[in-house]
Amino acid sequence: MLRPYDRKPYGIQLLMTGYILQRLVSLFFVLLIVSAIVFVLMNLVPGGPFTLGERGYSEVELANLNRKYGLDVPVPQRYVNFLIGAVQLDFGNSFSVAGRPPVTELIARVWPTTLHLGLYTIIVSFGLGIPMGVVAAYYRNSWIDNFVTFTATLGLTVPNFIIATWLLLVFGFQNGWGAESKWIIPPLFGQGPALLSWDYFLPVLTYALAPLGLVARYTRASVSDALSADYVRTARSKGLSERFIMVRHVMRNALIPMVTVLLPQVPNLLTGSLFIEVVYGVPGLGKFFITSIFNRDYPMIMGLVLLIAAFWGLTYLVTDILYTLIDPRVRVFGRRNA
Amino acid sequence: MFRRRTTLFFVFCILALTLVPLTVSFVGAQDDNVDVYGRPLPEDAAPYEMQTWQNLCNSARTETTLASAVSVYQRICDQNAFDKFGDSLVQLDENLNLTPAAAESWESSEDGLTWTFHLRAGQMWNDGTPLTANDYVATYRYMAEPDHAYDFVWMWNGIIAGWDEAVAGEISTDEIGVAAPDDLTFTVTTAVPFPPLPGTMYFWPPLQAAALEEFGPDYMLDPETSVSSGPFQLVEFVPGDHILLEANPDYTGYRQPYLRQISGIYGDQLNASFLAFQNGDIDAVNYSLLSPADLDIIEADPIMSENYLPNFSDFRTDYLLFDTFNPPFDNVDVRLAFAKALDREAIVANVIGSNLALPAYSFLMPGFPAADTEGELHDIQGYDCDAAKELLAGAGYADGEGFPAVELALRGETESIANRFIASAASISECLNVEITVNNMEYNAYMDALRARPTTIQFGAVSYGMDFLDPANMLGVWVSTGRHSWRNAEFDDLVNEANSLVGDPEARLQMYRDAERILVEDVGGVFLNHRIQGDLIQPYVAGECFRPDAQGVSAIHWGNDWCWGTYYITEEVLNHDTYRTE
Repeated sequence: MLRPYDRKPYGIQLLMTGYILQRLVSLFFVLLIVSAIVFVLMNLVPGGPFTLGERGYSEVELANLNRKYGLDVPVPQRYVNFLIGAVQLDFGNSFSVAGRPPVTELIARVWPTTLHLGLYTIIVSFGLGIPMGVVAAYYRNSWIDNFVTFTATLGLTVPNFIIATWLLLVFGFQNGWGAESKWIIPPLFGQGPALLSWDYFLPVLTYALAPLGLVARYTRASVSDALSADYVRTARSKGLSERFIMVRHVMRNALIPMVTVLLPQVPNLLTGSLFIEVVYGVPGLGKFFITSIFNRDYPMIMGLVLLIAAFWGLTYLVTDILYTLIDPRVRVFGRRNA
Repeated sequence: MFRRRTTLFFVFCILALTLVPLTVSFVGAQDDNVDVYGRPLPEDAAPYEMQTWQNLCNSARTETTLASAVSVYQRICDQNAFDKFGDSLVQLDENLNLTPAAAESWESSEDGLTWTFHLRAGQMWNDGTPLTANDYVATYRYMAEPDHAYDFVWMWNGIIAGWDEAVAGEISTDEIGVAAPDDLTFTVTTAVPFPPLPGTMYFWPPLQAAALEEFGPDYMLDPETSVSSGPFQLVEFVPGDHILLEANPDYTGYRQPYLRQISGIYGDQLNASFLAFQNGDIDAVNYSLLSPADLDIIEADPIMSENYLPNFSDFRTDYLLFDTFNPPFDNVDVRLAFAKALDREAIVANVIGSNLALPAYSFLMPGFPAADTEGELHDIQGYDCDAAKELLAGAGYADGEGFPAVELALRGETESIANRFIASAASISECLNVEITVNNMEYNAYMDALRARPTTIQFGAVSYGMDFLDPANMLGVWVSTGRHSWRNAEFDDLVNEANSLVGDPEARLQMYRDAERILVEDVGGVFLNHRIQGDLIQPYVAGECFRPDAQGVSAIHWGNDWCWGTYYITEEVLNHDTYRTE
């Protein structure tokens, strides 16, 4: 039961603001700890941003190489230098990309393509997965349910490199990314990647299958649970329409577990996939999460790690806030209800 | 009579009026299919708009430059895209003879310490300035610059005078032994006589001195600042996305291209190159990007098998190596036991394929200068399981008893290469009853471990191919200052002495043969196979490049830069679905 205090909108807003600030402060410390751990691990891994080459280098030549990449400075000092730069959003220059662009500039250049890809993947996987899950739950144990479950399981279990290989065999090798002949919706303001092009067809199809399966299965489970609740039986006995029951009662109650599981898919999808981007030649951000490690691109590694950590932290914050909007009984801040 | 002449006259006029325009139009049509230099293309060439070459580049690796003089290990795309903006001083022909490129001739002084290269006159940068010897001077000085920290700096260690000191920052790079007495003369002064020096000049198309000074080494990554004295010029480059080169109309060098354009698209080069080739999206695939399954398909296809062109390329040898400073491989009998337990002939026949490798009993591949072409070294490491067991028993490990389990470390190898080393481990393990596990390490981690002193690679597998066509290069990798944990003073002395021996080429080669014998007898390495490399070419790619060499082999031979002046696309392309027609 809601207390009179809790009804005051001003009070709730104040608590919400305080909660968000508290979470942002703790996120800052999380980023600090993550950066320290990754920085240490990164420097413990053998090898460096330069190939040692077939003939190797003398001490002098190695010293030149280390100086070139800023590796002649002791690790603790390098970490301090990194932190000073990071608070100014300066993560240094990439070691592995032609022109050695600043990490922030490189991310800004390649991320839009990955964001496009991720966005379309979310639209397909959530846009299809949620209705599939709802229908499967409503008609559970029918052939519809079986079909949806089968499809979802297939999407989850068949590795996407198998799917990609098959699609490439069927549709042929995708010649170059971003060719104007493949545009469907041109770039905004005439610059940058196309808003939509045929280039996205195969990557989205491949990328969306697994999250589609996940969304469909979790939606089905959540909605099934809600459908078997007493309040649904009560609502039906009161003569409410099925549509009203599904929308106002079932979906709203099913959303909390769905949000818990499915919302964290968003940062995954919006930061791309190495495999998808390499196989389909997507000039995006996703491949850098892996290639920067193999190439020992230290500035890029740190930039990406902080990016993904911040993204995840904010996603969980948004998740918690959504809980309170979906179910007013839930308070993630202040005093709990009795 | 008069009527007859009149009739003949009118027939003649009609014929003339018909045939002349046809002839003119035919000739005109021929003249229409010309390249950017106004030269008619070969008769069987496709229209000039179709004279393009496309590569698939690797989107997962570090790529920072289009010039070998800036970095060898971080070059953009592949050899079909980089180093097209200038001409090296020398190049090779199909018989691997050193031939003129930007330099039309060269000679050494009597004492062998000074080499003089004479540049062809009239070579130009496409900004209208002449290519001069000063550009080459600036390029070599840049390579020695300590702040540049060049990744191929070892090439002239101890060779070019002052090189080592300049790299160490002890002297200015202005003082190294390269000079331009005049615009068309480039001289190299060496610290010691070094007969193979001209061959070492192959890799380095020049940077433009003025652009290097004004914009730094990345000037060629931006079409706005890029200049070229080579057959192609940069039009577009988006890192990780695509690269586009076009024929340089201002090129006045020795290899004016028929091709209009070279492009590179990015993707999964390692796994999708063959698929892209079959789809008509790229024009050639190197053997290193073909899996065993791909090669089976090629072999079974009459067109592809005819267009797969094997060659020796860089004379690459796959071999096993040891940490000879620590047990158990500090004992030469143990190493020799491993060598003689390796059934390399069976591995080549059944695992690699006889069309892809030759069994190796020594380091230098047949055909390479000073190689053991007579087979005199075969029996030293040749397969003999019984003898191997005796050797191991003599070392105190009868029937493998007490021999520690060892790990064979691989250097981030692809499937087809890893398979041969796995088979090697199995062959040795089965013969000697020793336990060998295989670990395919990440490339950088492997090299880091190999170079560490003491090394952490107790037993490893690796390959090496030439950087220039001389035993100084190949055998130089085995000297005690090199990457291997093996040392032999006699070997070092022979190689170092041979490196600077002038005036007696045969004696020099014999010294290298003697050195190689020591390497084989002392089992510095166990030699598995020499690779037969190759390229799969589209059937509509033609050119003088494919003329047979002295052995009758048609291939894209290593170092044959002149080929880029001969490639063209034939009319056959019209019968195929390629990226040109999409």
